[in-house]
Amino acid sequence: MKRLIEVRNLNIAYGGGLSGWTNVVQDVSFGIARGEAFGLVGESGCGKSTVAYRLLGYGTINSLVQTGEVSFNGTDLLKLDAASLTRLRGDSIALVPQNPTTSLSPGMRVGTQIREMIATHRALPDGMTMKHRIAELLALVGLPDVSHRYPHELSGGQQQRAAIAMAVSCNPDLLVLDEPTTGLDVTTQRQIVQLLCDLRSRIGMAMLYVTHDLALLAQIADRVGVMYAGQLVEIAACDKLLSAPAHPYSRGLIASIPTMDGTARQGSGLRGVLRRDQISTGCKFEPRCDFANPACRTTPQVLEPIADARSVACMRWREIPAPQTPAALAGDDADATARPERLFAIAGLNLSYRKPNVFDKLLGRATPPVVRDIGLDLRAGEVVALVGESGSGKSTIARAISGRLPPLAGQIDLDGAPLASTLKNRSVEQLRQIQYIFQNPDASLNPRHRIRTILGRPLRHFGIEADEKALEAVLENVGLHAGYLDRFPEQLSGGERQRIAIARALLVRPKLLICDEILSALDVSVQARIVELLRSLKEKHAVAMLFISHDLAVVQQLADRVAVLYRGELMQTSDTATLLTTPLHPYTEMLLEAAPSLRKDDYVSRPPAMPASKAMPGIGCPLAGRCPRQIGDICADTPPPVQVTDNGLIRCHIPVNELTGTIAGSTGGIAGMPMPPAFAGSD
Amino acid sequence: MTTITSDPPTRPVRRRFDVNRWRATPGPFRVGAAILLAHLLFAIVGVFWTPYGFAEMGAGLPLSGASWQHPMGLDQIGRDVFSRFMYGAHIVLLLSFTGTMLGMVAGTTLGLLSGYIGGWFDEITQRLVEAMISIPFLALALVTIIAAGPALAGEPVLIVFVVGLVYAPRIARIARAAAMEIATREYVAAAELRGEGAWSIVLREVLPNAANILLVEFSLRLSYAPILIGALGFLGFGIRPPTPEWGLMISENRNLLIASPVTVFGPGFGLASLVIGFNLFTDGLSRMLGQRSVVGS
Repeated sequence: MKRLIEVRNLNIAYGGGLSGWTNVVQDVSFGIARGEAFGLVGESGCGKSTVAYRLLGYGTINSLVQTGEVSFNGTDLLKLDAASLTRLRGDSIALVPQNPTTSLSPGMRVGTQIREMIATHRALPDGMTMKHRIAELLALVGLPDVSHRYPHELSGGQQQRAAIAMAVSCNPDLLVLDEPTTGLDVTTQRQIVQLLCDLRSRIGMAMLYVTHDLALLAQIADRVGVMYAGQLVEIAACDKLLSAPAHPYSRGLIASIPTMDGTARQGSGLRGVLRRDQISTGCKFEPRCDFANPACRTTPQVLEPIADARSVACMRWREIPAPQTPAALAGDDADATARPERLFAIAGLNLSYRKPNVFDKLLGRATPPVVRDIGLDLRAGEVVALVGESGSGKSTIARAISGRLPPLAGQIDLDGAPLASTLKNRSVEQLRQIQYIFQNPDASLNPRHRIRTILGRPLRHFGIEADEKALEAVLENVGLHAGYLDRFPEQLSGGERQRIAIARALLVRPKLLICDEILSALDVSVQARIVELLRSLKEKHAVAMLFISHDLAVVQQLADRVAVLYRGELMQTSDTATLLTTPLHPYTEMLLEAAPSLRKDDYVSRPPAMPASKAMPGIGCPLAGRCPRQIGDICADTPPPVQVTDNGLIRCHIPVNELTGTIAGSTGGIAGMPMPPAFAGSD
Repeated sequence: MTTITSDPPTRPVRRRFDVNRWRATPGPFRVGAAILLAHLLFAIVGVFWTPYGFAEMGAGLPLSGASWQHPMGLDQIGRDVFSRFMYGAHIVLLLSFTGTMLGMVAGTTLGLLSGYIGGWFDEITQRLVEAMISIPFLALALVTIIAAGPALAGEPVLIVFVVGLVYAPRIARIARAAAMEIATREYVAAAELRGEGAWSIVLREVLPNAANILLVEFSLRLSYAPILIGALGFLGFGIRPPTPEWGLMISENRNLLIASPVTVFGPGFGLASLVIGFNLFTDGLSRMLGQRSVVGS
């Protein structure tokens, strides 16, 4: 088969100078056929982006290609000079970078940026004006004509669409995508992936999709290469890889991914983390492999074809037992009748970052608060998840509970006693009872203190008597050991740091733990282990958690109840199990449908029923204009009523019994309401 | 839950003097350190032993020029300039160091608090600091000395105070900028959530992380202190004679520039080499700590 691009024995090293060279990519070989989508997956630091950028002939100053060949249409990109590379880049091989906010020039209109690309490569089709072509490209990626807009006037998803429009403007043969959806919301992410699938079928270009998210690859890639420590350990067709991974690392990686289909994870996740200083001379994965034997330590593993276009770099893949078939997750909350006391409650919470000043008060102007009318309660030992897209006010609520943002209105109760709105007015005891774990463990531990000081400071501050034993015990509790006490945070990996942050919060025996997106900065395998840890802590210590997340799959594994937020308003609260099976609320449905599963699920985003109606914050339903089941202007004009369901509440104009009638996927019409044609089908 | 066992890369154990570590330091750092070390040794020797007494008049024929007995000649009243130069070395070093230290402590405290607390406190502090910086440093120094009155004039304490006063607002600005950046980090938020006070947070969380920036700033300020002290001495507002402060010596001997120029060269060379040494040292230090030194703020 004639391949479009062929990478052969690529070796790349970083460094130079005194420290010598570090091999980051070793002996990587793969090919991408015309029109094929190839996925490259692996944990952070495995070298996948380095490989991807080499396909554009691009290397950073301190990187050096030692050996290898990247042949594109027969020419070796590594031997081309700068001028020919410039001609090739953008024209035949285009890049969609990770973060559109930084990759689009902020001072240039979107249209101008696309025009620049077309003009550089003289890629304007015959008989077409530039303006027309740009509009056509924007329409291709599903955007209205935004060519006169600046990037900051577009949302993150729109920016990424514009970046894709720019990349495909010269009809490239190969599109290199470097984690193009990582910074985006679930729903936006799915739309982008859908767009890419759609573009591929229309334009017929090949794609290299670099990501750490296997579930996304399942939706788009034909073949997937799994990278570990700079080597490809398995190449297989996407569906084959996901259903029957051969390499132990692929198995662990897939087992680490939380899924929402109500099943326990297959087998066990990965242990340890990738450490380049611990790699043995033989198989790179040996230190973390559950199936390793002494021979693995010394025998280097190379990629060998096994069956139908599939190759694995493991000599023992045949001997490794097949992963257990997933078993249904047993309902772990059998004693729902013996509900513990209510620990924590918020009611009527309104939050705003902007204080009304004198002029606003005089003129009677009021800016609508960013978070409106939130009511939520937690029982002791209960895990409540706060779910929503970015900007929905999840973290803002957490700030208010922790006392860093005094609310405009509303009441926060802890243990039946009202909680003061500012940190200063809270008692030491109250401060101790609420502990906060931050999103980014790199920033939440003081880099200049040893772990001992970091853990010891809260104890001293709250006057808790504790000796060395207590510190060791808490470290063991979070899966670390006493040897960590004398280390600095910089000597720890991201997952270990997050464990320290959890340990610090647990040490003072809090009643409520606020976990603010604590998993989003971590690799999947590490995430899986932290979730495991939190589950065991929840059982052992009966600590209540407010778990803030945008990832419904993680929430499903951990939370008892879920609260769904949208643009600062609570859309629905419900038991986790009920929410996942019968989402009821249109927004919850949208979120659930967008979350990718490990199988190709042919996601089709449902268009809004009334795209013309505009949601005004504080006036109508915030979902108006985006809701696929909007019933009319009433949605945008009056706030939706709160309806009580069996195990929570829901805020929607559509009555609960009508919402129940339609489970995700099929949509029921409301009698007497004009239905757009797309939705009339099921009626 | 399995226990994770991994050994982090061990930090290099600090040894007394490692040739390889010394070699790896930037060139300016090494040259600067050597110059400063020479100054330090010279100053220590000067305290205990000088060829003649620093105030001993008639050590030789006045204005007789350089000779083996008097390498830097003799001044108008026949004092040996080299002895005075030697004895004066520790005075400059001590005054610069304590003065900068005072400015550092005051400026850092004010700057870190102002940057961390923010709000009105920050506004007021910054306006005061700006007002002080807007006055040329020599004018500020002279006004302070005059305000202190004749009783304190010429006392080392006053000179130290003046150096501190001139430097504190400049250091405060740097410290404030550092604190403002560090205050946004989550470990500071974590401390706030524990209910720790501003002092505690500034001391435990902010200061250790601003240490790099402050160290470079300290070393930079230190390099300009001898010039300030020398200038004060030259103008006659420095240490009271006959204590041989270098600036004062230049001032005393400046009318001999034609008759016996060698008497001015000594202290001039001393000041110049000290400042150059400090500057090279700071330059190297800031490169090692990954900080850019801000010159002349």
